[in-house]
Amino acid sequence: MATSRVGLVYGSAALRAAARGDRMVWALHRAALAIGIVPVVPASAIAEGYRTEARGDRLAALLAGSEVEVLSGEGARRAGELAARADTTDLVAVEVVEVADRRGCAVVASRQTALRAAAGLLGHDLVLYAV
Amino acid sequence: MVTKRSVSLADEVATAVEEAAKQDGVSFSAWLSSAAERQLRVRQGLRGVAAWEAEAGDLTAEEIAAGEALLARLLSGVSGMASRVRRR
Repeated sequence: MATSRVGLVYGSAALRAAARGDRMVWALHRAALAIGIVPVVPASAIAEGYRTEARGDRLAALLAGSEVEVLSGEGARRAGELAARADTTDLVAVEVVEVADRRGCAVVASRQTALRAAAGLLGHDLVLYAV
Repeated sequence: MVTKRSVSLADEVATAVEEAAKQDGVSFSAWLSSAAERQLRVRQGLRGVAAWEAEAGDLTAEEIAAGEALLARLLSGVSGMASRVRRR
């Protein structure tokens, strides 16, 4: 049986899609805000978004309606250990899954094996909108 | 820094906030502050969407409905793949 979710977490691919004008991502973002859901974005995904995308103005517009999840020392330790167990260097993907698991959120990200590996290790039933 | 303000709430709202704050393990003030912060974030976010629409074109009724349907699916625990909505 599917488990319901209470919010959304954006990975770097979601930010990339928004920066490139993906209208479905913007429509999803609007729908979330309209019912009072503020999507969560790990700070590392934001760094990756600004590293790869020229349209910082669009990223800023999306992030205006998002909550930035800042990694604590303890969170960094958990993410690093989980990445090691998942045998991945993709710390952003691991953080996205960790946040989704802890906060009961669905994920908007790319279809990555790292996401699924980390979710599997956490015993998390990943709900993913793959952009 | 914290600013002290005197606010008036309807009795039933104050009671519900007290209950919610207790359940969340935070003070009445912290709960109200968090709710206000969230509301402000929603407001800023919708302005962000409007700014993007001003440049890229307004989302159509079909696109808005598709976004709402996708959100409903995700919140009910159903994964999805990207699909495109035709823009009129």
